[in-house]
Amino acid sequence: MSTTNSILEVRNISKTFDRVVKALDNVSIEIRRNEIISVVGENGAGKSTLMKILVGIYQPDSGEMYYLGRRIPFPKSPLDALRKGISIVYQERGVIPHLKVYQFLFLGLEEKFTKLGRLQLGKIIGLTQSIFEELGIKCDLASSMYELPPSVQKMVEIARAILSVKLMVEGDGESEVTPIIILDEPTAPLSTEERDALFNYLLNLKKSNSFIFVSHIIPEVMKFSDRIYVLRDGKVVAHHDLSSEKVTEDQLFREIVGRESYYSLWARYVYGVGKAEGKRVVLSVRNLTKKGYFENISFDLHEGECIGFFGPAGCGKSEIARALYGEIFADHGEIIMDGKHVKLKSEPYARIKIGIGYFSGETGKELFLFWPIRKNLSLVNFEKVCKKPLKIISVISFNAERALAEKIMKKLRIRAPSTETECYSLSGGNKQKVSVGKWLEKSPRVLILEDPTIGIDVGAREEIYEVLLEMKGNGIAMILASDDPKEYAILCDKIISLKNGVVQAIYTNEEFRRLMGL
Amino acid sequence: MKSGLKELRVGAVVITSAWKLIKMNPAIWAIIALVIIFSAIVPERFLSPSNFVAILKSFAVTSMLAVGPTFVILLGSIDVSYMGIWMFGGALVWLLYPYLGLASIAIYPIFGLLVGLFNGVVHVKAKVPSFILTLAMTALLAFLTTYVRNISGVLTLTVPAYNFLRESPIPYLPSPFLLALPVIVVALFLMFFTKLGTYFCAIGSNEEGAKLAGINVEKYKILAFTLSGLLTGLGSIAIFVHLGCQTRVDFDPSELIRGLAAIVLGGTPLAGGMGGPHRTLLGALVYVLIFNGLFLLPGVDPNHLKLYVGTLLLGAVIAASRALKGALIA
Repeated sequence: MSTTNSILEVRNISKTFDRVVKALDNVSIEIRRNEIISVVGENGAGKSTLMKILVGIYQPDSGEMYYLGRRIPFPKSPLDALRKGISIVYQERGVIPHLKVYQFLFLGLEEKFTKLGRLQLGKIIGLTQSIFEELGIKCDLASSMYELPPSVQKMVEIARAILSVKLMVEGDGESEVTPIIILDEPTAPLSTEERDALFNYLLNLKKSNSFIFVSHIIPEVMKFSDRIYVLRDGKVVAHHDLSSEKVTEDQLFREIVGRESYYSLWARYVYGVGKAEGKRVVLSVRNLTKKGYFENISFDLHEGECIGFFGPAGCGKSEIARALYGEIFADHGEIIMDGKHVKLKSEPYARIKIGIGYFSGETGKELFLFWPIRKNLSLVNFEKVCKKPLKIISVISFNAERALAEKIMKKLRIRAPSTETECYSLSGGNKQKVSVGKWLEKSPRVLILEDPTIGIDVGAREEIYEVLLEMKGNGIAMILASDDPKEYAILCDKIISLKNGVVQAIYTNEEFRRLMGL
Repeated sequence: MKSGLKELRVGAVVITSAWKLIKMNPAIWAIIALVIIFSAIVPERFLSPSNFVAILKSFAVTSMLAVGPTFVILLGSIDVSYMGIWMFGGALVWLLYPYLGLASIAIYPIFGLLVGLFNGVVHVKAKVPSFILTLAMTALLAFLTTYVRNISGVLTLTVPAYNFLRESPIPYLPSPFLLALPVIVVALFLMFFTKLGTYFCAIGSNEEGAKLAGINVEKYKILAFTLSGLLTGLGSIAIFVHLGCQTRVDFDPSELIRGLAAIVLGGTPLAGGMGGPHRTLLGALVYVLIFNGLFLLPGVDPNHLKLYVGTLLLGAVIAASRALKGALIA
């Protein structure tokens, strides 16, 4: 099976979390010399678990690893992975903004350039210069990282990953090592032109390195990969060698989404869609603009209606959701709730007061992980669990708090030993249910959803959708910003498609499904 | 037979909840250990009624310096203005006594509240780091106190008219302790029975999340500083009485450390997010027991006491933060 070109191969990796969630199920992939392979899949498909195993953050439950045909143990730490020739560039937070370019490039590697305790700055700067020349990075070496454009920052990060491998690797001294660099969604913060620059850079680097490209942006993957692995629900469901076969974007999309599983969900929930016409308008938005993010967004949201903003990462959909909740502020435009203007610069507490709620599936964003379920649920519902012996004093009633928590846990089937269980110990799906549960009780007029089911398995998704659709049926209006087309098809009555912050088209649920082939 | 079973079950519940309490408050171990050690070495001196009263007095002073600032530390900032409130508040009482009579003691909480409000507003609105802001506040107020003493040509700022407060109506419970008690009750009530405690913890552990959960972060930050000032002002009355109805007129950094030490020893990390006044009270007790016990040990030179306590404190603070780390992961 393995060709002479193969550098690294993993076979039959399985990994289970909390004894229940099967994150990876018999996954095998192979990386050859001088190629870019892509690992694509939805959020929660197991991409990041696989990468974390490759760089030694997780240990698999079972599986084998081969390096140049020899069986080796799995790396035990990121440093161990470096010694085996594997490095990773993370999606974000990899750059240390205030370090000079050459300081950042050699961060953690200074040891090799120290003489009698003194850092050989001249040597480092000289090396930086020659590395940049070789790789074709153009920037002022004395500038700080944050001054560089995002694409150049990414390039320097990749250069650093390659350099670390070259300096740390335990080679046999004979053959030259080919560093394997994992790129986790490298293009997420970049604009279109910057993406092209980054890809040209990668194609140039391919001559002496191999890349694993983790992404869910299909056109990019198609354009730059030599081979593609498609992950779904922890399994490799497809493997394409683009040099020998032809794959359409459509086909890839279907493989990622998994058409069959979609239909069973959709058939159950489609009743929730399309019943908003003729209802009262709750929220009107006119010409809402935030420079650099979105422009002239206008819409009317009716009772019990859900409007989705759809587009690739960076199209402005999450920023619109956040601006409606007050997490970020729009520059100008109007937000009108029940006929009254909402101040553009008012914070979330003021928006909650007028009936706007917000739910993000991102773990720990608005969930307090070290708190018991009870406290997380009562946080936005204090008026329901407090007694007022005097007008100005509200006293928390623990019994009311517990009763509230029990009620929500029962209703949402949150699986936890008790109301006092701390949230970090819950599974992803149950965490999300706690997050959404507080809003179920609060029942705002408008609920803003940002990636509500990110990173959770299909079963838990269904349960979250069920709750959301029930809330929708009770007249709560919703705004959705997500990455998952299925989610729009299940929840939304109207889908506004965005590109670079500008509205491209408005679809009904049916048109959208036809367009997506769902 | 059946009732016996029931008692057994009640006993089990009591034991498990006591165990949980100890597990969540590692300072209890330290208290138990200190009591056992000192009772074993100097039983007749440590376990005497007069020493019990001394411990209570000392506890009242330490906890009153620390309980208010605990709320600020909960939300991840820090407030060391308590020293200034205590010192200059006393000077104000002394200055105003000729005009207001006995009512002038009310200036303590009012002054504390105003200083706290000022700290909060400046910290939140002007985004001045809280440590340097409140430290400057303490330095300023301490200087003003010394200045008042100097220009009035007196040695101490004493108001003998309040001497009646020094008499305790209950034997073995000294009046500073009785004066501190309501402040303790208020602090615990605010922490556990109002949403304030929850909100402060929320802001301290995840400010962004707290904002998204609809908490007016700026307002509650200012409120925490105000509360800290108010409770310190109220608590300062107990210290004022303890010192013989006078205020301190010279700045002593060890008194400043005392408040922070109680907070950290009790197990409220300076990074905020967890802990609270209940832990600070335990921490204050640890601090007082260390001081008191060392003082009673034969062969310990009282002049060197601060040196020993300082060294011990350093070790204890490191141990406390390590113990806490364990508790967080477990």
